[in-house]
Amino acid sequence: MVLRLLVLFSFIFLLTPMGGAFESDSNSQNFKNQIQPFFNSYCLHCHGPKKSKAKIKLHLLSESDFSKEQNLKTWEKLLEVLKSKEMPPEDERQPRQQDRADIAHWIENEFQSSLKGNSQKHSSEPTVRRLTNIEYENTIRDLLGFRLKLIENLPKDPQKPYRFNNTAEFMLMGPEQIDRYLENARRALASAIVDPDKPEVHRTRRDWKPHNLDRGLGLDEVGVWGNRRHSPHWGMGLKSFPKTGEFRIRIQASAILPPGITELPLRLVMGYSLNINSSTQRMEPVGTVQLRNTLDQPRVYEFRGRIENFPAKPGKIVNGRRQADTMVVTPQNLYDDGTLNDGQRPLEMPRAVIQWMEFEAPLVQNWPPEHHKRILFESSLRQENPEAYVQEVFRRFMSRAYRRPATENEVSKFFKIYQLISESELTFEEVMRETLAMVLISPQFLYHTVQDEQVSPHYEIASKLSYFLWASMPDEELMKLAEEQKLLDNKIIDQQVRRLLKDSRSNSFVKIFTSQWLSLTKLKTVPINKDLFPRFLYYVPRGERAGTEEPYRPTIRDYMFEETVGFISELIRENETVSNLVDSNFAYLNQPLAAHYGVQGIEGNQLRRVPLNPESNLGGLLTQGSILIGNGTGTAPHPIYRAVWLREAILGDEVPPPPAEVPALTDSAGESAEKALTIKDLLAKHREDESCNDCHARLDPWGIPFERYNAIGKYQPMVPKEGTRVRGFDKKTHQSLIGYQAYLQSLNTISIQADARLPNGPRVEGMRDLKNYLLKNRKEDIAKNVLKRFLGYGLGRELTVKDRFQVQTIFERSKAEDFKLKDMIIAICQSKIFTGVKSK
Amino acid sequence: MTQKSWNLSRRELLKGGGVALALPFLNAMSWAKEVSPVKRPKRMLVSYFAYGSYMPNGANGLPQQKKSHHEWSWWPCQNPGPLKFNKSSAPFEPFKNEVTYLQGLDHAGGWAMGGHSSGDVFATGADMTGLEKTNNISIDQVAAKVHGHKTRHASLVLGTEGGTGSYGSSKTLSHRGPGRPIPSMHKPQEIFNRLFNPYAGKKIEDVRQGLKRDASILDLLLDHSKSMKKRLGLEDKKKLEEYLESIRSIEQRVERTSKWTHKPLPKIDTKGINLEVTHKDPKEYIRCMYDLVYLAFLTDSTRYASLMLESEQSSDSEMWNYATYVLGYKGSTHDIAHKRPVDFSGQWDRWRAEQHAYFLKRLKDTQEGDGHLLDHTLVLWGSAHPHASHSTKNYPIQIAGGSQLGLKHGKLHSFEGNKKVPLANLFVSMLNAVDVPVEKFADSTGSMSEILSG
Repeated sequence: MVLRLLVLFSFIFLLTPMGGAFESDSNSQNFKNQIQPFFNSYCLHCHGPKKSKAKIKLHLLSESDFSKEQNLKTWEKLLEVLKSKEMPPEDERQPRQQDRADIAHWIENEFQSSLKGNSQKHSSEPTVRRLTNIEYENTIRDLLGFRLKLIENLPKDPQKPYRFNNTAEFMLMGPEQIDRYLENARRALASAIVDPDKPEVHRTRRDWKPHNLDRGLGLDEVGVWGNRRHSPHWGMGLKSFPKTGEFRIRIQASAILPPGITELPLRLVMGYSLNINSSTQRMEPVGTVQLRNTLDQPRVYEFRGRIENFPAKPGKIVNGRRQADTMVVTPQNLYDDGTLNDGQRPLEMPRAVIQWMEFEAPLVQNWPPEHHKRILFESSLRQENPEAYVQEVFRRFMSRAYRRPATENEVSKFFKIYQLISESELTFEEVMRETLAMVLISPQFLYHTVQDEQVSPHYEIASKLSYFLWASMPDEELMKLAEEQKLLDNKIIDQQVRRLLKDSRSNSFVKIFTSQWLSLTKLKTVPINKDLFPRFLYYVPRGERAGTEEPYRPTIRDYMFEETVGFISELIRENETVSNLVDSNFAYLNQPLAAHYGVQGIEGNQLRRVPLNPESNLGGLLTQGSILIGNGTGTAPHPIYRAVWLREAILGDEVPPPPAEVPALTDSAGESAEKALTIKDLLAKHREDESCNDCHARLDPWGIPFERYNAIGKYQPMVPKEGTRVRGFDKKTHQSLIGYQAYLQSLNTISIQADARLPNGPRVEGMRDLKNYLLKNRKEDIAKNVLKRFLGYGLGRELTVKDRFQVQTIFERSKAEDFKLKDMIIAICQSKIFTGVKSK
Repeated sequence: MTQKSWNLSRRELLKGGGVALALPFLNAMSWAKEVSPVKRPKRMLVSYFAYGSYMPNGANGLPQQKKSHHEWSWWPCQNPGPLKFNKSSAPFEPFKNEVTYLQGLDHAGGWAMGGHSSGDVFATGADMTGLEKTNNISIDQVAAKVHGHKTRHASLVLGTEGGTGSYGSSKTLSHRGPGRPIPSMHKPQEIFNRLFNPYAGKKIEDVRQGLKRDASILDLLLDHSKSMKKRLGLEDKKKLEEYLESIRSIEQRVERTSKWTHKPLPKIDTKGINLEVTHKDPKEYIRCMYDLVYLAFLTDSTRYASLMLESEQSSDSEMWNYATYVLGYKGSTHDIAHKRPVDFSGQWDRWRAEQHAYFLKRLKDTQEGDGHLLDHTLVLWGSAHPHASHSTKNYPIQIAGGSQLGLKHGKLHSFEGNKKVPLANLFVSMLNAVDVPVEKFADSTGSMSEILSG
């Protein structure tokens, strides 16, 4: 209501010729009479001419600042801290509530009148930006009709914690990049366009027999561990395979399932042999099946893929001649009940029996393949008028690659390139490959599609929707709607957003969005203290790499990443409200994760929605392993990392990095738990030093309530007494993981303190209190943060102060819908700021 | 009889310490004719390590006069003057007369950036918190602009993490100019192929013919792109200019490559080279990267290289775990910087010193003219994140080599207090030593006579 009045208010002044003068007059009066005295008495002694903490100098602000973009940010910050009572600090003299409100009102008012005029204009931010590497790979996949791994060959995209990298600022372009694009384009077209003659088909087969059953695992079995030489665990070697094309692998397999276990995940990987004691072998997963059939009912399973995506080991040179490249197809038993390689009981674990395996490539039943005919379509034109045919091929391909109709001028340019390339002695297919590769390095392909006088805004919207929700190009349906000029219709947008989110391509969006928003990648590289957490990861049991992490199989860290992405995906797809981020009555788990968190009754490796009971100490994002590990040290929790995470990712604050020249404190990250400083000491140290205290007083309390969640993301309310020596896991002493856990339990005698008084908030004791506070007092802040993240990601740019009112409009609508996430995304896609409709 | 310029036997090479690149090498040795000393290539490597080093003495890592020098300090000795080596710097003892330590230097442009970001400006000296927000040209590229045309590759930009990184978390040292970071290459095989196998087995006539065609195609492509640019707004035009410039620079390179096809490629057999070494083998990997720089210099494929041994934000790379792999330290390499555990900090510095000394040794073991390769090569080694506390002052800086380029070694120089000069002064002297006649680089106030002989 207030907002509407404000809009009306400024509207009237804009219409009145006198308005401008009168308004600025009264403003400068207001500024002198109210604002400046307020600054003088409450702010300037820290943010003024003498001291200017956080580099804010309020004595330099004046009422005319609202016309200058660089100062708008300061004003916005000022408004925020006044409203949230973050400033003046709690231990300073406080202004009257009414004064606070008046000042806030005045600033709000100024924003209104200064931004109203140019709210559509974002002059400083370019709209032209190249595709991110993931968008690039996805786009080529959808353009050609099959997936090729192309990212590895590109320079890595820049990343910044808590920021999205799909902005013009991050998406740079240099000559080296174009080299790689060209290499990729040639590779892609070499796969997409085939030669007319059917190629030779390569086949390999291997059989295994159940010998030596009396000596542990049989020779046709694949166990979790305890595998035998020359069993299928060693894989099937390939000495002959094509360079490009689709392959098929068939296996006849069944499972030996101990009582109570109903399925076994069997994964095939292909690439280098994995039976060499080294962590540098390269391989790619082919696929995973769940074996539920037993020995008496063997079944044939089929896997498919593109051979280009798998690393072949280059052949050795023997007597001056290079031998053929090789690959190995290796089946892996991924059964994981959370006990990892604990103990010596391979026969108690489920095992896969593989009788035979067959490899075949390329598949030539339909020749040329579909993806070829999509580009070099069948037509009598090819014979009758080859030039017209070639131009039509370009027109079709470019119109898809550019995500909008290609112009005649563009087609004729490429026809010239085609003629140039034709001069060399190449076959028609080779010439087409090379020419079309050039399409894939032209800016119309590499950069996002924008409207201009030749391209209608509908095509831009089609692309915006698809790159937002699929991280890929629009499909036929979106392109058709663009052609019919229907994409400015809110009903159509609503339908399309729902359709796009239902499609599996939206997984890409959720994964990129979640991982960058929550800064998840840290999770995978935190070095876990193996002595304290001996059975958290798989380690190589013996050999020269004994004790290093076992490579080549999904670890619990991978599952934790999937857990968080899957959780967010679930919230969006099921249109759940934003509160679930803080606390939810369900989790997204598989068996290893459930075992880790202590949730009962989950079988199998597939993640799914699992209802939680209230005593689980789980629910929401804050207690997920990905967050807790990524923001810990691998040995101990790290309240400061966790506080930064909470404020950046959830509350949407910008936490400044530690300034230069501030001496580092010994933080709680020690080489062992024994040496770790207690949190109380840590806080006390921060308070001693004023330069630390200014920021840490507002930071540390947010991290303390996390303290009962340990460095591997488990709920652990008790710790050993200070100075206790914790012995690492030893098979002889502890027999099994359970035995070791009992030992650890016996040492944990001190209960952790997790109480803190939140800045400008109540005292909270532990996670439950923190969650309650966030849900009760900060829900709108969290919702606004999430909304801004979605919007910023969708627009591919950082939001600025100028977007304030547009954001507010979407926020109000979303609030009316109880901040349900899918609705929020729909509201964004329908907003003017997203569709970019220019008011003329 | 003419003396061969790279007179080293295969055995020497095999002996050369490292493993990764023990080579059955070098037809290179036979195709190169002796060149006159004046024309002998003058080379330069800028290398960078992250998260600072152990300087336990006083605030800002400066020695405290009252205390005795710490045996694990990154600085080899306490007082300016002739070098004495401690535990941390011991690997450089054999290079007593080839290295100089410089204390108290830094880039003012990096002061306000914070330790995790100041690596961005190590090779550029740009004022990134002020007027040069998108960084600026780096020292290797200044040199490459002047002499780059003389070699097959104007410069070689390497790193261990690859790509450009972002502003404030650069993964490359080299920049063409504002907003133009050059992505670093980090995969040995790829680097090797670029250097020594660029035609991928094609016939040279075909390559030349192909390049000619490429040039015409690039022309058309440029035309095609301009038609898109015409229709854009001002800011967007600027953004697209990045693309157009890239295409233009590829055109120039095509021209240049075409010229170079008339000269033979150095022949290097890949047998015995472990170019597939990955990040999981710290020593082999780092040495392989050094080896590639060495080979590029040896064969005069390029004269200017940069090598970012670790970025200041390596948390999503394997580099983060190197201290664990190498020393068994139970934290990330970054944690060493913060906690400075005595037993690990020094050893970590020493490990890095060993790898760098390996590179110096390879250069020194390779004869060139009446000296060795190191005499004609400047090797800068340092960090912009000096010690704990996210400091941005008093970088650890070591300069090695170039004795025949006018450098004089064997001392620790201090530029503390009233002797303070910008690090860029060193850059001016380095550039001058490799025949790049500049008087100013970034915020320099002159050159650095202390490191020059005579």
